[in-house]
Amino acid sequence: MSANLSRLRHTHGFDIVKPLSVAVLLLMMLPLILLPLASIFIFGMSAGIDKFWDSLTAPDAIFALKLSFVTSFWATVFNLVFGLFAAYVLARYQFWGRNAIIVLISIPTAIPTAVAGFALLLLWGPYGLLGQYLPDDYRIMFTPYAIILANIFVTFPLAFGVIMPVLETMDRSLEEASATIGASRWQTFWHVTMPALRGAIVGGALLTFARSVGEFGSTILVSGNLSGRTQTAPLYIFAKFNEGQVEAANAVAIVLAVFSFVIFSILFFARDWLEAD
Amino acid sequence: MEDSDNTSSAVEVQNVSKSFGETAVLRDINFKVEEGEILVLLGASGSGKTTILRIISGLETQDEGTVTFHGRDVSELPARLRSTGVIFQSYALFPKMNVERNIGYGLRLRKRSRDDIASRVNELVELVHLEEHRKKRPSQLSGGQQQRVAIARALAYEPDVLLFDEPFGALDAQIRTRLRREIRSLLKEINVPSIFITHDQEEALELGDRIAVLNAGRIEQIGTPYEVYMYPQTGFVATFLGAANILVGTFDSGSFRSGKVVVPLSDSTESFREGQSIKLVFRPEDVFLRKPDNLKQAFHSLSEAVVEEVSFVGAFERLQMRLETSEAQRLIVTRPKTETAMNPLKEGDRVATGIVRFRILPNFPLGSETAGKIV
Repeated sequence: MSANLSRLRHTHGFDIVKPLSVAVLLLMMLPLILLPLASIFIFGMSAGIDKFWDSLTAPDAIFALKLSFVTSFWATVFNLVFGLFAAYVLARYQFWGRNAIIVLISIPTAIPTAVAGFALLLLWGPYGLLGQYLPDDYRIMFTPYAIILANIFVTFPLAFGVIMPVLETMDRSLEEASATIGASRWQTFWHVTMPALRGAIVGGALLTFARSVGEFGSTILVSGNLSGRTQTAPLYIFAKFNEGQVEAANAVAIVLAVFSFVIFSILFFARDWLEAD
Repeated sequence: MEDSDNTSSAVEVQNVSKSFGETAVLRDINFKVEEGEILVLLGASGSGKTTILRIISGLETQDEGTVTFHGRDVSELPARLRSTGVIFQSYALFPKMNVERNIGYGLRLRKRSRDDIASRVNELVELVHLEEHRKKRPSQLSGGQQQRVAIARALAYEPDVLLFDEPFGALDAQIRTRLRREIRSLLKEINVPSIFITHDQEEALELGDRIAVLNAGRIEQIGTPYEVYMYPQTGFVATFLGAANILVGTFDSGSFRSGKVVVPLSDSTESFREGQSIKLVFRPEDVFLRKPDNLKQAFHSLSEAVVEEVSFVGAFERLQMRLETSEAQRLIVTRPKTETAMNPLKEGDRVATGIVRFRILPNFPLGSETAGKIV
């Protein structure tokens, strides 16, 4: 009889554990994730949409957002090309030291971003290892180029990390078939390998870009944080908050939050479409 | 080199050897494939058959030997310049291209005009009966349809030879039988020389105009399915292509002798010397079981045997027996249902045995071939 009842409960009956566990999950996420995000929007809009718009269209705010996106764009382009190249070489060839290279490429994920920025300063700064030999006109620290360098450093392994496993698990006979049909290595790469990597490339690019746009720790050290010249969006938020201009900080924060949300949605929903056969 | 004749074979593999590190994978492989012929390379996994295919296609380089297509030496050419059509076991269709684009790939690489490509692709789509699926992606097709796309894709650029790498391995048994008949008739229709590799002896017998049996990197025998099945030249071929019983004995004044068993040998015994160890090889279906009183003289009688096990294998009955030779030898016998009904047997029964057809081969002491072992 009791066995019968428990069978009923699991197959047909109402199982209280299910809604309860989902509720607990949401309750835990609420103060940790959901409420902080919500407060950005609640506070940002509390002074009215006009005030929000004014804060957003302030020249320094616009400059900061632009600078973030442009530096992130170039860092993404570089790391995508590099990641693709590195993944292709490491997936195709076995050689002594291959694993060491994979570990080296992945190291930046483990390094605190402030350390990364500091390291760049020690290399390229005015008194740095190499920086001291640079002519004054080519000093790259405290310029937008420094921001790109910092972004490249902290996002170095991301595109590689997405592309490499796809290449490694790819059916080698596809490329061999292409060769027997008459394709050169380059034609095979272009017509067969690249299409198979489309999803990974888009995914790696979005990940790299999103991570770059939000970079703070390394940027604040290498950029000089000059408003209207080398101040990125995250630095702008920090600076305005310190100056007590919460609305100004909040407006840019909203843009960054929405941006991240959009990138994430693309990653989440477009993945199936990109990888569909 | 052999004397040159003008009528060169479609494919000729000469003295090809290959080692991976210390292990020799292929040793002195020689064979020809004529225009429109289907050759099946039959061997177990590790016999080197895949390596032969990869060497012919240029995906692997031989250590020694040459490969020629219609008399043209392609030994040193990379895969892309050889013009072979490889049908991979996984079909290796390009997943992001639809059926038409897959088929047209080789023509686009060769920079043919749009109209040329369109009409050739059309022709091939019809040839392999995929008219309704021409816009589909490979993932939307069944295994058999994918295979036809792979064949059409290879045929598009008119290769010198088609190479099939275990093409039915990924399919169900039922579909497999149907497909290999379809493919055989397709290949006969288009008359392109083809090489199949397989480990499935039934497939080899049904598909091939000729079969080359490979063992440990060597070709043991090449011949028509009938020749290879009826006249195996080695014990390996006999046991690999169909089941075979092997009795080991000695050559003794014109006869095979093993304990009580004496089988007189009529011809082709010149090569044996007195007392040489030889093998009596015969198929399970060539053994006849009769009660002692009606065993006819037309058979070469062996000795009495005791039934150890009777099992039913679909269309026929399979008996495992113990033969009373000097050392007790196992024997496998298969009988059709008609005979089973006339002469039922059960475990423990003792019957006289005889064989109607057999081969005599020299017995080389190879570790893999133990006396009386049934493979």
